[in-house]
Amino acid sequence: MHDSFLTHARKRWLWASLVLLSGALLAYAWHDPIGPANGGTWLGYTLGTIGALLIVWLMLFGVRKRTYANRVGSLRGWLSAHVYLGTALILVALLHSGFQFGWNLHTLALVLMLLVIFSGFFGVFAYLRYPALMTRNRDSASRQAMLEEIADIDQNALALADGIDRRIHAIVLRSIENTRLGGGVWAQLTAHDSSDLALAQARQMLEKREVEGNDAAKLSTREMPTMFAMVDFLAGNADDKQSEALRKLIDLLSRKKSLAGRVARDIQLQSLMEIWLYFHVPLSFALLAALSAHIIVVFFYW
Amino acid sequence: MRWLIRRVTRKGKGNVAYEEDIHYGDVLSVGRGSDQAIFIPDLRVALEHARITAVGVGRYKIESLILAGIRVNGDITYATTAGPGAAVEIGTTRIQMLEPPADFDAGVEVSSIDKAEQKAVAEAAAKPTMLAQTWLARRGPAWLAFSLIAILFFAVPLGAHFSSSWRGTLPGLPIPSQDAWQSGKLQDAHHFFGSDCTQCHEKPFRWVRDEACAECHAATPAHADPVKFNLPELGNARCAHCHRDHNGADGLIVRDQILCSECHQGLKERTGGSSLLGNVSDFGLDHPQFKVDLPAWTADGKYAPVRTLLGTPGLQERSGLKFPHAAHVDPKGVKSPNGNKVLECDSCHRADAGGAGMQPVEFDTMCQECHALTFDVTEPERQVPHAKVPEIIFTLDEFYARRALEGGVRDVTSPAIVQQRRRPGQALTRQEQFEALAWAREKSRQVAETLFTGSACTVCHAVSPGREAGDPWRVAPVRVAGQWYGKASFTHASHTTMVCADCHDASTSKASADLLIPGIANCQQCHGGEHAKDKVPTTCIGCHGYHESDQLILAELQQRAKAAAQPPGVAP
Repeated sequence: MHDSFLTHARKRWLWASLVLLSGALLAYAWHDPIGPANGGTWLGYTLGTIGALLIVWLMLFGVRKRTYANRVGSLRGWLSAHVYLGTALILVALLHSGFQFGWNLHTLALVLMLLVIFSGFFGVFAYLRYPALMTRNRDSASRQAMLEEIADIDQNALALADGIDRRIHAIVLRSIENTRLGGGVWAQLTAHDSSDLALAQARQMLEKREVEGNDAAKLSTREMPTMFAMVDFLAGNADDKQSEALRKLIDLLSRKKSLAGRVARDIQLQSLMEIWLYFHVPLSFALLAALSAHIIVVFFYW
Repeated sequence: MRWLIRRVTRKGKGNVAYEEDIHYGDVLSVGRGSDQAIFIPDLRVALEHARITAVGVGRYKIESLILAGIRVNGDITYATTAGPGAAVEIGTTRIQMLEPPADFDAGVEVSSIDKAEQKAVAEAAAKPTMLAQTWLARRGPAWLAFSLIAILFFAVPLGAHFSSSWRGTLPGLPIPSQDAWQSGKLQDAHHFFGSDCTQCHEKPFRWVRDEACAECHAATPAHADPVKFNLPELGNARCAHCHRDHNGADGLIVRDQILCSECHQGLKERTGGSSLLGNVSDFGLDHPQFKVDLPAWTADGKYAPVRTLLGTPGLQERSGLKFPHAAHVDPKGVKSPNGNKVLECDSCHRADAGGAGMQPVEFDTMCQECHALTFDVTEPERQVPHAKVPEIIFTLDEFYARRALEGGVRDVTSPAIVQQRRRPGQALTRQEQFEALAWAREKSRQVAETLFTGSACTVCHAVSPGREAGDPWRVAPVRVAGQWYGKASFTHASHTTMVCADCHDASTSKASADLLIPGIANCQQCHGGEHAKDKVPTTCIGCHGYHESDQLILAELQQRAKAAAQPPGVAP
């Protein structure tokens, strides 16, 4: 089986986390402090120290990730430890707090920590699921290759359309103009295709021309994506030669449409794999500030 | 209409050639068709792609003739009106509207877009395909979040620690105040100074000092004398060893039994016999039998209870009273002058105002109805006062003196002068008075003796002859109600759901010597230790206090301990 970061080194870090967790749980169950359990007992200080060191170490993953020359363990090993120990941190921190919560800096640190960890859980999900989906979607082509093929198809389609009819040429030209992949954050995440917008504009234009009695209004269907428009033309006034060329054109454009869809999906998967980091990283720095303040404050007012 | 069409061709580096054409007509057609006024041989251009109409001096209407539209000033459009400077981009060709030159009605400049520019335009028009190309960022927000938290939750409250004006202002603002540093709610009693952390946390990074507590809690008693019991730790214990605030409204008083039990083990040995306390760790599982304060008196009549272990064989209560409970609480009732009367416990035992213990039993209201203190059959309504021996003697002396002097006493053993009935206004001679009063004194003495030794007092009390003149009789002191568990704080008030008989077996007690105070087993029916699952979890402070010393003040003890720890000659 493929050795993912979850199964790295025969789940060494899973076991390490489980040992840490059971140790913490046993100590907590056995511990009978004076007054309620909280961070101020010896076990509280111990778990707090473990938790703080873990947080600092988990954040060092960001440094380790960038130092390719580092030889201290493989990056996958680090990631495996990052994930498992980060998950264990939830319980370590909760036991450290003795389940005392309030509207204060201390609980803020806990909440930030939980937000960081849960955003990380999405990252784990993304890393486990999306690479396979991306590979399947790309179908052993790279995104650049797909984009180049789209450009080639565009050129061929224009040449072909020019040989058929000026209106077909115009339609193909519009289709090229409308094919713009990517976009803002939301567009990338939702694989949103902005050609809808262009289509709406085209439809508006068409209606206007109908009123003015322009030639273009002869195109019968109002819902006129490129393909339908051409089929419409085919059914109307095309001779055999034109029909043949048009069929080729339709094949080309179908191929292009499928490619464009896959590129959009590729962009979407790529952005889903990355989006959580835009929460995970800033939140972890907020946590670092809250954690530092928490530690200083509890000893400031000892 | 005269149009100027200026074609710009770039030849090599920086060499630009202009070629000017004149076109007549209102409309300037643009396309790949050879009949077009502006002919663009590019596959991305339709045969008839667009047309430009001069609609006025320097005003141009630009229309697309194809569905794809045309790009005017970077935006796709179908028709627009523009002035000089507007640029139409078709494929790699740019057509720029001009201010009509002299002798012309309109003008355009046709140039080709060079490759670098084409690439730049394509890149500018391309949409981002990675999140990193969008406004999203990690570094900036990370710094921002770090700084925000550090400022709002650290720097601002820190300022409030050092500045009292900040302390006053911050709570009114929608930003965190020093409250954000509180790890939990303060004890209710500490709320009134809770906004000023320095009341307790005097110096940063230092433990709360006992002196800060003693500012208010100056009179708190100590636990026990460290010198007497040779337990120096009694003086060293910090207040915060047991009392940790910020644990909620009720959190300052800890109830954990381990606080007591870690010390109350082997106390007898550790104190060299000074302490008599047994080992204790859990009320339900490991607690010695109770000791009670058994009533006792010193030789001179001073109350001096004796601490006695319950369950000691032959243990008897010495209340000083003869009282068979069983006879009195007979459910069939007791005979009284007013008929049969059923007595309940609370006929005699009434809770005191605080509800903790019982009021003393009152003779006048509780006993006298049946146990009347009459002494003379001829005047059965007359009774001697209760409990005051000299007054009883006075009452009898005065009663019989009056009877002797008035005369008419029907007592054949008495002198004639006492038996004689007097006529109104008849005076007795000195001799007669002397004789009558002599009888009266003797009668009073006899009746007193009968009262004290026979008919009245001894029913309930132990009476002995007095030891000195003017003190003819001595009645043993009585103590019925009072504090039995001298070292614990039992209260009846929290046990009102019980009936008396649940703890006090009075119905079968035939003598007052029966001690009706229950032992630990009775309490353990309902109360268990801290970890009891099926009983009321009861820890040490359920019944005992810590600050219980009646001589030592804790603050003084702590100061003494600190002075002892200080090397001599060093000012504290």
